Amino acid sequence: MHKVKELENKWFNYKVKKILSPLIAISASSLLVVGGYYIYLSQEDKLHSLISSTVSSSTRATSVLGVSRDANNSINNLQKKEKVIEKIVDKKVLEEKIEEVKLEKKLEEPKILEKIALAPIIPVIDMAKEERIADVKRPRPVKVSRNTVAAKKNDYLTAKELAVVRRTQKREKVVPRKTKKMKFTSSDSNYFETMQHKFSKSNSPRDALLLAKVYYKKAEYVEAEKWALSANKLNNSLEESWLLFAKSKVKLGKKKEALKILVSYYKKSQSIKAKRLIGQIKTGKI
Amino acid sequence: MMSSNYDELKNIFVDVVDKSAYVELESATYNYDVLESSLDKPLKMVLLYGKPGTGKSMLLNKLYHNLKENREIHYFEAPILSEKEFLKSIYEGMSGQVIPERMRVNFDGLLKYCQKLKNQREIIFLLDECQLYSEPLMEKIRLLSDTRVVKFVITLHKTENEEVIAKEHFKTRIWEVIELCNANEYDLEVYIQKKVIKKGFVDVSNSIKKRDIKFIHTHTNGNFRETNKYLYTIFDIYDYYEKNEPKKISSNKFSRKILEMAAIRLGYINA
Repeated sequence: MHKVKELENKWFNYKVKKILSPLIAISASSLLVVGGYYIYLSQEDKLHSLISSTVSSSTRATSVLGVSRDANNSINNLQKKEKVIEKIVDKKVLEEKIEEVKLEKKLEEPKILEKIALAPIIPVIDMAKEERIADVKRPRPVKVSRNTVAAKKNDYLTAKELAVVRRTQKREKVVPRKTKKMKFTSSDSNYFETMQHKFSKSNSPRDALLLAKVYYKKAEYVEAEKWALSANKLNNSLEESWLLFAKSKVKLGKKKEALKILVSYYKKSQSIKAKRLIGQIKTGKI
Repeated sequence: MMSSNYDELKNIFVDVVDKSAYVELESATYNYDVLESSLDKPLKMVLLYGKPGTGKSMLLNKLYHNLKENREIHYFEAPILSEKEFLKSIYEGMSGQVIPERMRVNFDGLLKYCQKLKNQREIIFLLDECQLYSEPLMEKIRLLSDTRVVKFVITLHKTENEEVIAKEHFKTRIWEVIELCNANEYDLEVYIQKKVIKKGFVDVSNSIKKRDIKFIHTHTNGNFRETNKYLYTIFDIYDYYEKNEPKKISSNKFSRKILEMAAIRLGYINA
């Protein structure tokens, strides 16, 4: 007898569970739906308020245009008004959107500036300096003095001049020039040997740098890199060693490494050459 | 539910292998016909197999009771696990003599006895729960069936079937295989209704609706033993309410609450 009572309790619990579990599921899902709908409504309200504000401004605009709602009650006029309002609303909404975008852009600008500041290359060109350099290179116009005799306009010799030339031609016998053959022997290997020998004795960073330069010219970039590095090890303030090392790296396809090295060097030294080289590497000129 | 003696009702579903408890179902009738006709064929062994509670023992029991008047048929309801006792029972069944306690049957002698009876007699032995028999004893059953004087109808649980079938001595000798399955919803309804009506509870039978049968079927999978157990529990709870809180079972409907309570008690529902 007692067992049946116990069983009844169990059954009651089971029923409660059975009824409650779908109820909980339904309530949870409905909560989600209601929540979602509430969010949607809040957004909708925002939109409505935006539109209403624009509509109020548009009504002002319509009054400017001379269109009065009270004056005209006909359907056509109303439709026209609505169209006008819609256009104005659209314009207003568009304008506001543009403003928002501008604001966003403004907000984003400092970020962009930060990015530029963080960038290893600062592409700032000193225009005044550039112009000065250009001025130096530009051929200066030759000042024509008034005393100098103007050249003849044509190249033809006069009869007198021709007579002089013919006379001198007769006097001088034309002796054919003998071509001299010169033997140029490549002294590259000797040069490297001697330089390396010299370096081993002197242990001078200049010698190492010279070797690096020669190797770079000969497009032996691995060697150039090696010698530039050894020069740099001996004297790390030697700017050329940095540049040459980076250039060799670029030639060996290690562009990122080269840039990293150069940027670190630029930060330390503020060298213009380094900066220029960074630019060249970035633009792919090297 | 009309007022009824629930104590009597629940006892209808006490699981017993009894001729009176047998319910004629379409599927059971078909299986019975197959089984009976297979006994007329020159088969050495007939295998009756299925999951526990599908009605194998009941079918065997019915076969025995139906044929015992006309044929030489012996039914070993419980498996005789001792070889000595088994051979003694076979001989006693065949000869009709009672062997004294201290005597034992020699298997070779039994075989010779069987061979002597060839073409004279055909004795059927119905062996239930054969999965419990030992391997050497099964071998002896095989040899006895080879004499064609003794025919065996054996029942096996389906789980053991594949293993036993694979054995050589069964492979060659089993000619007829009858598989018993769980009842479908329709058969289950008929089974419950027939059982209840047989005892005169027509109103109870009418109160059990199709949806109740469906509910019972989902929990018992149409297994007769499980269904008996379930219905026994249901009527046991009814019995309690009738005696203690009769108001709770005043309706004419089969109470879903009691169905669920019984399911909880039997562990069908995890509450």
